[in-house]
Amino acid sequence: MADLLSVNGLTLDYATVDGRVRVLNDVSLRINKGEIVGVVGESGSGKTTIGLSIIRLLDSPPADIIGGSVTFEGKDLLKLGPSELSQFRGPGIGMVFQESLAALNPVYRTDTQLKESVEVLQRAQNSKYSDKEEMKMMVEILNDLRLDRPEWVLKKYPHELSGGMRQRVSIAMAIVEKPKLLILDEVTTGLDVYVQNRILSILKELNRRTGTAMMFITHDLLVASQICDRLYVMYAGRVMEEGNTDHILNAPAHPYTQKLFAAIPQGFVDAPPLPAPKGEAPDLRKLPTGCKFHPRCPQVMQKCKDSEPPVFETEQRSKVLCWLLEKQ
Amino acid sequence: MSNIVEVSNLTVSFIVRGGNLLLFERGGGMTNVVNDVSFNVREGETFGLAGETGSGKSVIAWALVGLMKPRSGSIKVLGKEINFRKKADVTYLRRNIGIVFQDPVGSLNPRLRVKEIIREGLIAAKTFARAEYDKRITEVVDLVGLRKSSLEAYPRELSGGEKQRVSLARAIVVPRKMVVLDEPTSSLDVSVQAQVLNTLKELKSKLNLSYFFITHDINVMKYMSDSLGILYYGKLLEVGRTYDVVTNPKHPFTARLMSNVPGLKRAKIQEQQERLTEQGSSATGCVYSKVCPRVFEKCSNSPPMFNLGSDHHAACFLYDKAG
Repeated sequence: MADLLSVNGLTLDYATVDGRVRVLNDVSLRINKGEIVGVVGESGSGKTTIGLSIIRLLDSPPADIIGGSVTFEGKDLLKLGPSELSQFRGPGIGMVFQESLAALNPVYRTDTQLKESVEVLQRAQNSKYSDKEEMKMMVEILNDLRLDRPEWVLKKYPHELSGGMRQRVSIAMAIVEKPKLLILDEVTTGLDVYVQNRILSILKELNRRTGTAMMFITHDLLVASQICDRLYVMYAGRVMEEGNTDHILNAPAHPYTQKLFAAIPQGFVDAPPLPAPKGEAPDLRKLPTGCKFHPRCPQVMQKCKDSEPPVFETEQRSKVLCWLLEKQ
Repeated sequence: MSNIVEVSNLTVSFIVRGGNLLLFERGGGMTNVVNDVSFNVREGETFGLAGETGSGKSVIAWALVGLMKPRSGSIKVLGKEINFRKKADVTYLRRNIGIVFQDPVGSLNPRLRVKEIIREGLIAAKTFARAEYDKRITEVVDLVGLRKSSLEAYPRELSGGEKQRVSLARAIVVPRKMVVLDEPTSSLDVSVQAQVLNTLKELKSKLNLSYFFITHDINVMKYMSDSLGILYYGKLLEVGRTYDVVTNPKHPFTARLMSNVPGLKRAKIQEQQERLTEQGSSATGCVYSKVCPRVFEKCSNSPPMFNLGSDHHAACFLYDKAG
């Protein structure tokens, strides 16, 4: 199947007062048409930066793309000028941000904000809808997202809506433009499990019905594993493991992925202590030599300290950045 | 086993004006954000409180350390009923119960060094002589697993996990019977969360502490708590031993909550055609009756707690044996 999006060897620095910080290092990922791909990792692993660099929302400076390419439908997005880019945003690639309260404008009602998106769609299609048609579209899209009383929601300001409703309004703003790829950055974080599950099932249904490809960025492995076809596990700006969700879930190959799963509490109160990886996420300014996970890795070898592992492919065709998988 | 804290019929109200919650604003109605809640925390055990955003979990936590005065009901600490109007009683309450807040950034003074932050706990409690301060601070820093070098650091120089450990150190620097933990790990990464949870469990057995643990993450709740209460719009719907409540939920809301918990065994998300009704609460009768799938006539009354045996209680008329 043709790739809808492919990121090849993307390397990106943030230029800060303290010097340059490498945030993404040789990141490659691809998303097929109609696929849901998860990008998981802990804070500071660079997952949000990937999302933002695909849709080109990073300010430069501080962001500085050193190398690599982002190809969407055969065009390198990194080479496009601002006016060409705007054709891709919205109808091409849509994005939903983590904080729905910050992503929505607090002084406008839902209908005004949603209408902006509808107008973008009209410009893209070179068509003009009447006010009535616009209204109908907006009600329909909210209905699709299973919002109760769409007409009522449209007349409300963001602060008058609950977290789950707001999140669905921001999803509505993105999907009303009928994007081919939807980037979802931590959309379920901070929501209750029930609302979280509903949003996941709505997204899944949308994916099945319209074939919208999705890039699902989250720190929550459990959530990602519920909805994603394939996963990318990130650490210190690198993709440590990539593969089919079922394979990663059943047999995680990278020690980091294994530790991530082990750290999720499963048992009851009398369960043994959690086998948490020691230490915390690395400081990107002072990354260790060799494999970036080696100071926290339980299976560290001398080789890991000396040089950074290349990509190894496992039998299940997962791609893993770990010396343990080197054939003897 | 004796109870450290006994909460009976606790009701906490906010003053409301014009339908919006405006705290401390006079001349409006009152709304009960915590309504007739009763539970006990046993010695050396963890009582977990789960519930959705806005259900009143934090308000109960605040009441337990005297940051919020109950409108009615009582809080007993080690058998002594707290009169919230008496300063001595509130001091007694705080001497026995410490608190760790959810937001590790907001709860630490950015202009104090870690050792000064922890020292403030000692100064407030007045149980240690000034000469013993430094010794006690070093002890407690060791207990919570902080490096000695972080004593001289400012909060901004610490990671999220370390900040939560500082909060914890401040809460237990004066030996306490119970610590209120209000979502202590929800802002942390999973690997760091696991480390903090391990430390909490270790301290609990080492110091014979009780915890009042608040979280919306059911996996964490299962792992941490001995007993569990489920809160919905200020009402306690179900309370019991964690194992019973999780494996055999009685209240329809608890059942729904538990069925939505993501597990490692891959439960694929299903398409649900039913409309997501907003999480309403009913003004009259059972708070859950507006959205409950098993609602019937009786639910227009407010259900009392029905005893289901072996410490398991549910506020639902489905378990009303009388009729």
